[in-house]
Amino acid sequence: MPEKTLITIKNLSKTYKGSDEPALDSICIRILEKEIYGLLGPNGAGKTTTIHILCGLLQPTSGEVTINALKLDRNLVQIRRIIGVVPQEIALYPTLTAWENLQFVGSMYGLKGMTLRQRIEECLDMLGLLKFAGRKIKAYSGGMKRRINLIAGILHKPRILFLDEPTVGIDVQSRTVILAYLKEMNNSGTTIIYTSQYLEEAENFCSRIAILDCGRIIAEGRPKELIASKPEYTDLESIFLHLTGRHLRDH
Amino acid sequence: MILRLLASIRKEFLLLVRDRAGLAIMFLMPMVLILVMTLIQDVSFRKLDETRLSILFMDEDMDCLGVAVGEGLEGSGFFQVVTTIDRSALTTEKVFQEIAQGKYQIGIVIPKGTSEIIRSRARESVRRALSEGDSAVRSATHKGQDRARIILYFDPVIKSSFRQSIRNALENFTSRIEAKIAFQVFAGEISSFLPEGRQIFLEPRNSVNFEEIYATDQYNEIVPNSVQHNVPAWTVFAMFFIVIPLTGNLIKERESGTALRLQVMPGSYIHVLSSKILVYLVVCLIQFLLMMLAGTILFPLFGLPALDPGHQKLALFILAASTAFAATGYGVMLGTIATTHEQAASFGSVSVVILAAIGGIWVPVFMMPNIMQKLSGISPLNWGLEGFYDVFLRGGGMVEVLPYVSRLLGFFIVMLLIAFYYHKFKVVSD
Repeated sequence: MPEKTLITIKNLSKTYKGSDEPALDSICIRILEKEIYGLLGPNGAGKTTTIHILCGLLQPTSGEVTINALKLDRNLVQIRRIIGVVPQEIALYPTLTAWENLQFVGSMYGLKGMTLRQRIEECLDMLGLLKFAGRKIKAYSGGMKRRINLIAGILHKPRILFLDEPTVGIDVQSRTVILAYLKEMNNSGTTIIYTSQYLEEAENFCSRIAILDCGRIIAEGRPKELIASKPEYTDLESIFLHLTGRHLRDH
Repeated sequence: MILRLLASIRKEFLLLVRDRAGLAIMFLMPMVLILVMTLIQDVSFRKLDETRLSILFMDEDMDCLGVAVGEGLEGSGFFQVVTTIDRSALTTEKVFQEIAQGKYQIGIVIPKGTSEIIRSRARESVRRALSEGDSAVRSATHKGQDRARIILYFDPVIKSSFRQSIRNALENFTSRIEAKIAFQVFAGEISSFLPEGRQIFLEPRNSVNFEEIYATDQYNEIVPNSVQHNVPAWTVFAMFFIVIPLTGNLIKERESGTALRLQVMPGSYIHVLSSKILVYLVVCLIQFLLMMLAGTILFPLFGLPALDPGHQKLALFILAASTAFAATGYGVMLGTIATTHEQAASFGSVSVVILAAIGGIWVPVFMMPNIMQKLSGISPLNWGLEGFYDVFLRGGGMVEVLPYVSRLLGFFIVMLLIAFYYHKFKVVSD
């Protein structure tokens, strides 16, 4: 059975006001249903800009995005109901407890009563945080905050999940738990679009990846296929450095 | 929609009650502000006899003028007359020194012979009047008389208006004494023309009575005092200071990324803001209620008159709610446009102080220069204040406050529209 295309990005460009250089320069991507699609690239490559446009947080300068057969610019309200977003920042209220944060987020997605309560408990339990549910976010460690940040994005069981560097700055244990949970979600049918700078993590986690640099896609494919296409390199990191160069990307 | 709104309200409420510093800014500071400002400004509303000012009085004259001025000062109740320091009689040098050191603000010295000069001038004036046409007497009168002197010492910190008031009061005393002496001399001179044994007595009399009436509703029994003036003024000011925590809340959400999460959730920006507006509206109304309670219960404990909220409770509530809407609208607009905490806090507080100054919170509008009086009409704080004055001082009701309510609500809508369109066009389409 042919795989269904869930997200289509056609000639997407974005130039920020006051900038001469485009953050995205006519990129085209097709993401299939139930894929884990990785957007990789150095700082300023355009990964977060792409995610923000797909979530409706930014308007593109030109190009077209279709999500679940709905044009993004005309159907933002419907699209927002089926997507979940886990931003790079810990987008939680530090003076509220984990439970209160999740209760608020769940209610905003229309969950209520027992359904909401059970869903919060289930997610907290899966990510090993149930016993800390009553603790304020400001008292959590970095890894715990990342896990709650993730739960806030998946509580309403989105069909499509956007993850912007979800494992940045956390310990190996938290990273392992997060990635395992995401894999499980993916197995249950959630399509994941994920950005990261951890290439080894992306190599193991993603079904397909695109390497972005200076707003352009310079390579795309399954991680193993990309590695196989360059026999002189043995891993994704070597290929990444070969494609993007070794110079620093300070913006 | 309702579920989302309730969830947002609950979240805003929790954020608010867990922010102790914010709570202090919102509830404690306005109470302290209103109490301190009313206590300070109470002086200007009280009768002078309730705030007796110590005054150094040195009477070298020891005659009718000196005695009359001394008694007049003491009897007026305006002043505490000090004639000795450390049981020593005052000297001109001592008076000067005490005032120069700021220990006293006013000194009055009546030099020796002042009464006599007045008396002889009065005598000469009467003689001159009675010898009409005798040019020799008239020219002698003008050449031979010194004018009486009263020396006043003032601390430089004394305002010129206050100095003028003291001078007017003394001129009033001396004029009366002068008139009295003139009448006595005149009566003596006339008596000399009468048959022996007959005398006439003349006394200067005040033939004008001043009647004071407050131009308010005839059924209004509210007496204007510092509390009736200050409570509404500083309540409006404090309500507008909600912009600081409200802008802080909005900017904190943007900086932490929670605003981003809110934006990707179903619902519009107005929906996100409506919960904040509702919660901060309630905060403003609680502030208002607390300040009304402070006026009625707390102020009398500090020796201030109790606030009389009048009978127009509905008008008062609607006006308070409209002021609260205007204040939260202003906060939402600032919080949307400002990019940093520093920007929002400094611009927010300074702009509220400026709007308060223009609006007549610090100095009544009628005392401002013409151009500022015209400008005062642009300040939403002035609309709130004038509305409250209508209820608190002029006995106004719903009809009277309606124009102010309309302006305040109009201001709220304009602020919200600015916030909405700024967010839509500047943030989303960055």
